[in-house]
Order: sequence, then C-alpha cells, then structure tokens
Amino acid sequence: MGSVNLNSYAQIANTWDEMYIAGDRMREQYHQIIRYLEQESASDLSKKEELAKRLFMSQGITFTVYDSGEGIEKIFPFDIIPRVITATEWSFIELGIKQRLKALNLFLKDVYTNQFIIKDKVIPAGLIYSCPHFLREMHQLKVPHDIYVHISGIDLIRDYDGTFYVLEDNLRTPSGVSYMLENREITKRLFPDLIPQCNVRSVTEYPAVLYKNLMSLSPRAVSNPTVVLLSPGMFNSAYYEHTTLARLMGVELVEGRDLVIRDHKVFMKTTTGLQQVDVIYRRVDDDFIDPLVFNPNSVLGVAGLMSAYRKGNVAIINAIGNGVADDKAVYSYVPDMIKYYLNETPLLKNVPTYSLGNHDERAYVFENMHKMVIKKTNESGGYGMLMGHAASEEEIEKYKKEIRKDGGRNFIAQPTISLSTAPCYIDGVLQPRRVDLRPYALYGPDGITIVPGGLTRVALKEGSLVVNSSQGGGSKDTWVLSC
Amino acid sequence: MLSRVASSLYWLSRYVERSDGILRMLKINYASSQDNIQAFTWDPVINIFSAGSTDELSAVKDDSRQVLEQLLFSRENPCSVINMITLARENARSVQEHITKDLWQCLNEYYHLVREPKLRWYVQKDDPMTALDLLGKQVMLYYGTADSTMERGEIRSFMSIGKFLERSIQSVDILNTKFTTISSHPDLLMDASYWQHLLLSLGGYELYLKSYRGGFEAEQVLELVMLNSDFPRSAKYAVKNIQRYFERLKSEKNIEDYNNLSFNIGRLHSTITYSSVYSMKAEGLNNYLYKIRNELYGIGNLLNEYYFANS
Repeated sequence: MGSVNLNSYAQIANTWDEMYIAGDRMREQYHQIIRYLEQESASDLSKKEELAKRLFMSQGITFTVYDSGEGIEKIFPFDIIPRVITATEWSFIELGIKQRLKALNLFLKDVYTNQFIIKDKVIPAGLIYSCPHFLREMHQLKVPHDIYVHISGIDLIRDYDGTFYVLEDNLRTPSGVSYMLENREITKRLFPDLIPQCNVRSVTEYPAVLYKNLMSLSPRAVSNPTVVLLSPGMFNSAYYEHTTLARLMGVELVEGRDLVIRDHKVFMKTTTGLQQVDVIYRRVDDDFIDPLVFNPNSVLGVAGLMSAYRKGNVAIINAIGNGVADDKAVYSYVPDMIKYYLNETPLLKNVPTYSLGNHDERAYVFENMHKMVIKKTNESGGYGMLMGHAASEEEIEKYKKEIRKDGGRNFIAQPTISLSTAPCYIDGVLQPRRVDLRPYALYGPDGITIVPGGLTRVALKEGSLVVNSSQGGGSKDTWVLSC
Repeated sequence: MLSRVASSLYWLSRYVERSDGILRMLKINYASSQDNIQAFTWDPVINIFSAGSTDELSAVKDDSRQVLEQLLFSRENPCSVINMITLARENARSVQEHITKDLWQCLNEYYHLVREPKLRWYVQKDDPMTALDLLGKQVMLYYGTADSTMERGEIRSFMSIGKFLERSIQSVDILNTKFTTISSHPDLLMDASYWQHLLLSLGGYELYLKSYRGGFEAEQVLELVMLNSDFPRSAKYAVKNIQRYFERLKSEKNIEDYNNLSFNIGRLHSTITYSSVYSMKAEGLNNYLYKIRNELYGIGNLLNEYYFANS
C-alpha cells in the first residue's frame, strides 16, 4: 500500500511551499525523499515517529515543565520529514548572513567606541541611548580581535514569492544549535542511507569550529588555554544544550558558583585548587553576569567578572552589550549599517518595519492593524506579540492604548508575512505547516563560518504563524544539499 | 576537575549504590515473606531504609505489597528507591558532559523505568518480584556500562570512592540491625534461615557455602561480611578499594589535605585488617560496628571539606 497520500496535501493559497511549485509540480530537491517515503507504509512512518520520540526520551533530550509539584519531562516536538534547502539557496543565504554579520559587528564596535554612525546621523542617538541593552559599561572596552558577535542565530523567513527575509538577528545567546545536531542524528536512525543518497551536507563540524574559535580568543598566550561554558545550571530550559556543547567540545561546564575572581583574573575551583580561566562561552544573560555591575540579586554570574573582562584577562563569548544590535527598533537600521560600513547593497532583506515613535508611521499602522504584527522591542520567544489578523478589536485597542502611553519607542510594527510552508507528517498524513530557518554563524579571527544546516522551526498548530517553542512550535532536521 | 563536578560524581555513585542495596534487601525480604518463615518481619528493612519516618511504614508492616510500595515509590520517604534514582539522575544531569552518553542513557532509563505505571501495577496487583528484577537488572546494566565505558582517572576515582563508601556503610548497617535484633530475640541466633537471609540480601550466599561447611552461624557470617577480602560487599573489601582509588588522587597541589585524608583511610583499613571475630566480640560488637561507621562518615566529611569545596 502506497502510504504517503500526496493528494491530500492541501497547499495554502498565496504561500510559498518548500515542496511544491504551485499546482502539483514537486520541487526537485524533494523528489528523492518522497520516493523513499512512498515505499513505506503508513504504519512504518508512524513507527518512525514513535522511534524518534523514544530516542529523544531515552537520551534525555527533554525539558522539564514544573506544574503540580513533580516535574514532567517533555520533548521538543520533532517532525520526521526533513526540510530541504538547495545549494543555490544556501550560497545566497551564506553570503547574505556574512555581509550582515560583518556590518553588525562593526556597528557594535563603533557604538561602543567612536560612535561615528551616530555622529554622521545615520542612526538617531536617542534610539541607541534609550535601548536598555545598550550598556555604558562596555564603553571603550577592548574585546579580543574586535569580535562581538561570535555566535549568532539569524532567523530567516520566506514570503509568498520565496524571497528570504531576516526576521531577527539573535546576537546575544542564541539557543537551539544542539537540536540542529540531535535532529540530524535522529534522522540518520529514521531513514537509513537516505542522507548520503541525497547529498546532504554534514553539520558535525560545528563543535570543532566553535572550539577552535574559542581557543583562538584566549588573552593569555598559552598553548592550551582553559575554555569553559558558563551555564545558569540544570534548571535552565536550555541546560541540555549546554551539556551537549560542553561534551562535544570537551570543555568544562561551569556555573557561577564554580568561578571566583582574584586580582582581576578568573579562576575555577577544582579538586586540586584554583585554575585560571581564559575564555568563557557564557549562556547567562548580560543582566545576570556580574552582580557587582548589573543585577545585584543575581546568583548566576560571578562577582568581579566585568573588571576581569575590562582588564583583558578573560574573553567572554558573546561579548556583553550585544543586545543593542538585537533591539527590534535598531533592527530596521541594519540595511543602513550595511551601506554605511561596507558600502554594499544588502543581500538579505529586512522585513519592512514601522517605528511607532514616528507619528506618520504610527497613524498608518493604526489604520491597518489587521495586516500588522506588533512586537515589543525587548521581548523574544514569541512573547509580547500581537498578530493583527487574528486579534480581537479589544486586544487591538488595548495595544493601541499601551503604545500611546509608551510613546512608541518600545514597539514596532511589521506587515504580516505569510511564512512559507513545508510538509509535515501529522496524524498519518503529510500536511503543510509554516516554517522558519535559523542557521548558526560562527565569527572567529579567521572569518565567518556558517555550518550548512540550521534549525527549522515549525508551527505545528494548523493555521498558526508562530514557530516559537513556547507557542506550540516544533522542529525539523534541515538539509542543505551539496549539489 | 571542578569541585562541584567531583561532588556530583561522588553522590551519583552513592545514590545508585544505595538504590541497589535497597533493591537487594527488598527482594530477599519479599521472598522470605512468601516463605512463611517463623518470625519474619519487615522491621529491620524499615529501620534502615525509612530515614526516621517509620510511623507510616510500621502501620502497614504486615502487608508486604504496601511495604514494597512505600519503599519503592513513595516520594515522602527520602530513602525510597524512586527518590534515590531521582537524586542519582539529578547529579548525573549536572555532570552530563563528564560521564559517557551510554551511562547517562542508562541512568535515564532507570529513572523512566521506576516511574512507569506498569511497575507499580506489578507491585500492587501482580508479581512484585518482576518489578524488583527489572529494577535490579537496570542497576547491573549501570555498573556494566560504567565499567566498560567510563574513562579511568579522576572521574572514576571519585565515582568508585562514592560507591565503596556507600557499600561499606550499608554492610555495616545491615550487620548492626541484624545483631541488634538478636539481643531482643536470642532464639534467632540459632535460626539458620535468619542468617541465610542476611547473606542472600548481600549477595554473599554462594561464597559463604564455599567458605564454610556445616550450616549458618552468626560468627562466620560476621567474619564474611566484615573481614573477607574476596567478598565484594565486605567492609574490608570496600575500604581497601576506597584506599586504592583515593591513592590515585594524589597531587602535589593539595598534598597536605591528601595526606590528612589518606591517614584516616589508612587507619580505618588497619583497624579492619587487624580485627578478628574474637577481638570484635571482646570490644563489644555494637561498639565496634559503631566505631567503624563513624570512621566511614568521617571520610565522607573530609572529602566534602577538602575536595568538594564546601568549606
């Protein structure tokens, strides 16, 4: 019995589908997968789905939801059908991201040193200084090799015509890369032989490249610098990722309480006394990193870390204060940054963004609320968002009121983008669901490396446009083809 | 190695070993509860493994299924198997990058197993032995996996010290409870099945049969569990191994702490080595066991102070 019933695949109108060209012509990159799936029976596929769940569970790739006392282990939903990206698409994405990161990195250096971009009136000073993530503590602080955005996870989406847009830059502590690695491992188990047959590029080099970059940032000229990964601890939702990365790189996973500062140097407490730390890959947010400088109630960070950083005795990855380049209102200036710093035309487009501090733009947005997505500039993870097309009048009025009260600095509006869809195996049939793409870029002294792959997040709820895991999203393995 | 990591590895081992000890005890005691043995009681098990909260357990002590359920699945009893496994896994989780993926998976499966409704059903309605066997196998899998996949070196040393320290404390505790019971029920002294059980719950039954001919006697059991150097659950064997793994931690960086703790372990080892059944009895068995137990706890405290940076 042929299992995968493609006739029931109901494409969504005015939406780019990753598998189908309008009508029923299948894109070439999906031929081989579909041929493979057609040989399987529906029960085989459901078994594979079960196997995937079991593998995630037994490997402890879970996050814990605490309600009613005892924690419940949940797995991040995984869809077994891979998302495929062609070599041509990928080379464009790669160039676009590299260009963008170069500009963003120059922006961060500029904004924390000479501020030419403000003096030349490309970006208004008020916008920068009103950003809560612009940290005066970083002013004139020299970071190794002038690199700020060592690790980034740029979120890309596709509009109805297939054009790629950058939705967010995620330059602080982007997460999810362990899922890129684990999803691939699971797919290898689910579809034996399919990956080499399809010429899928490998993602396994990620930890090695990251480790090499981290080593090369050591301020001490020693042959074997101490690199650590600083985690908030096992109750953090991304803890599994922290341990995976530490294990794959062979570095020590530390918590704030494992570190102490002596003479503006960082040490870790070991069974044989103190050992100096040279490089910290931190997964703790800026605000919690040093209670002496930032949030004084934080127990996740290390008292005195900023002084060691300022003295140049330790490298911190990503740099502190990157949030200013991540701000959703500053985001709309990234194309200007690319022109200003690189004198190039931006390859990847920004989603058109209306600043609600500007009266004309605000009036336009208020008239067209149903076509807009309103976002708070300093929230992420799908929180603080109003989807105009699905919101009630009441909710819209509530947001308008909030925006007026705020003056508009902390909100932006973007037209609703109809995210592209990819086939998902749900309830025994293939169904289209909205997806985005987050490739991970590593910026080291030798340049930018983007591992061919990434995390495809998928809105598993029918009709949903929000892919965040907090809003019922899942993920897929992401294949970049070599030819 | 980070002090916190060393501490977690050590506690991970202690909790796994403790869960293993409870499971063995439960299995044998359950078997004897089915055997209509004269004067069978869950009291000793309850005394050792209920951490003071004995009231609830004492109320159900004549119902084996309920005792098992409490000792296996109760979240309220800090010594229940489910709590031991949860703690072991929490410790493992915080040092995941230091143990092999195989070992982590094994512990993870152990954890998911004890939470399975099916297991509870075996205990409540079906054959409880099946549940105990399934769990017991998982511990053996853990030890096999640890042995064949974990790197040798500091990690292994801390894990082994934890394991053997826990094991020796348990053996001493079991002896203590069994011999204390005798003082109130002197007739048990001559009861072969009483000693047989003790040996079965420690896994020393076969070795006893090979070493001693002519029935079960209290003194010989004592000798086997305290002083036999080939019995993996004897106090002597365990302390010898604590010493052996501790010696590998020697480092010039903290030589003073090392020497201090090494002295304590050495003294304990000598105390046991130069004991005999005769000398133990002369000293008073309770006193002797109490002294050994204190020494073992002292080693744990010094590890905490010198190596786990908790001071």
